[in-house]
Amino acid sequence: MSEAPELSEAEALAAEHALGVLTSAERRDAELRVARDPEFAALVEAWAERLAPMADQLAPVAPPPSVWAAVLRSLPANDNLAVRRGLRFWRGATAASLTLAAASFALAVFVGSRPPLTVQPPPPGQLLDASLVSQSGQPVPLFVAAYDPVRKALIVTSLVTANTDPAHVHELWVIPADGKPRPLGIIQPGKTQAMPMPDRYVASLAEGSALAVSVEPPGGSPKVDVPTGPITAVGKLAKI
Amino acid sequence: MAVATTPDALSALMGRVAGGDRSALRQLYDATSAKLFAVCLRILSDREEAQDVLQEVYVTIWRRADRFDAGRASVMTWVSTIARNRSIDRLRARGPMAYADQVEDLEIADEAPGAEAMLEAKGEQGRLQNCLSELDARTETVIRTAFFEGVTYEAIARRMEAPLGTVKSWVRRGLARLKGCLQR
Repeated sequence: MSEAPELSEAEALAAEHALGVLTSAERRDAELRVARDPEFAALVEAWAERLAPMADQLAPVAPPPSVWAAVLRSLPANDNLAVRRGLRFWRGATAASLTLAAASFALAVFVGSRPPLTVQPPPPGQLLDASLVSQSGQPVPLFVAAYDPVRKALIVTSLVTANTDPAHVHELWVIPADGKPRPLGIIQPGKTQAMPMPDRYVASLAEGSALAVSVEPPGGSPKVDVPTGPITAVGKLAKI
Repeated sequence: MAVATTPDALSALMGRVAGGDRSALRQLYDATSAKLFAVCLRILSDREEAQDVLQEVYVTIWRRADRFDAGRASVMTWVSTIARNRSIDRLRARGPMAYADQVEDLEIADEAPGAEAMLEAKGEQGRLQNCLSELDARTETVIRTAFFEGVTYEAIARRMEAPLGTVKSWVRRGLARLKGCLQR
C-alpha cells in the first residue's frame, strides 16, 4: 500500500479515542474535548463510523433475559417534555415582553468568581454532558455543556453568534428531579467557559437533570431562582 | 414481532425511543442486544460484568436517544460505540494495564475472515476488511487487538514486548493508511 499522509494531531487523537487505546485520564480529556470542540467531535464520530464494521466479525451472543428485566427496572421516565412544560410554568409573566428571536445576542458579562470550593474526597465521577437544543423551529444545538464531577466544573460552550442582541443575556439553569430551577450563571455568547459549581448545586448536576438557557435582561433573571425570560434551549445531562 | 434490522427501520425505532416509547426500546434491544453483548463480552471477558454494562448501555441509549442524528451516524455504529465506551471505561477501572484474559467459550472470529467471508462481506464491512488486510500483518493485529479488546497502548506494548512509542507509531501509521485506503 502506498504511504498515506500522516493524520493531523487532532485526528490521530480522535482515531485513537475511537479505537479505544487511550488511558482513563486521556479518555476523560478526549471526552471533554468532544463536548467543547464540535470539529474534534466530528473527527471522533467519523473514526467510530470507519472502525465500526470490524464489530460485525463478532459472533452475536444472546444476553440472558435478566438483562432486559434490569434495563426496565432502571429506566427513568423520558422527561424532555415534562421539563419543557415545567419551564413554561416557571417562566414569569414578563416572558411575553421579551423577544424570543434573540437566541443570538451579545453582552460580555463577567461571570463572577464563585466561592472557593471546599475540598472533599472526589467521587469516582464520570463526566456528564448535555446538548442544549433550540425550543422553537428545528431542534438545533445552541449550547453544549460538560460537567466534570471531580473538578466540580461545568464547561459550557455557546454556539450562538456574539454581538447581535446587547439588550439580553443568556442565563443557564439546572432543573433536577424536583423540577425547581437553580441559576448557574450567565453564558457568554460564542465562547467556551469553565464555571466552577458551588457545593450547593453539585447534587443537582446529576444524570437526568435538565439544563436550560433562558433569555434575560442584563444581569440575569430579576427573580431569584426563577427564569423570567423565554427558554431558548434545553438539554438533559447524561453520562458520556 | 419481526426484528427490525434495516438501517431505516432502526432509525425509525430510535425516533420512537427518543419520544419515550418503551416498546420501541424493546424492539431495538431485540435487534441489537446480541451484537452489543458480544462487544461487551469481548472487552470484559466476564459475563456478569458484561451483563451489567449491557444494562447500562440500554439505559444510556434511552437517555441519549434524542441526540441520535441519523444524518451523522448509523444506529448500529451509534449503539456499538456506546457499548464499547462503557465496556472500556469498566475495563480501565481495573487499572491501566488491565486486559481481559479471553474466555474460551466465546466464538469469535479473531483472525482475518476467510475468502468466503470476504466474498460475502458487503459494502462498508467488506471495504474495511480489505483495507485492514492491506496493512502489514503486525499493524493489522495491533489495530484489531485494540479494537476488540479495548486495551491501552501500554498493555499492547507489554504484550508484544515492544516499546510504547513504537506501538503508537505502528497504530498511527496504520490508521492513516486505513483512512487512505477507505477513501479510494
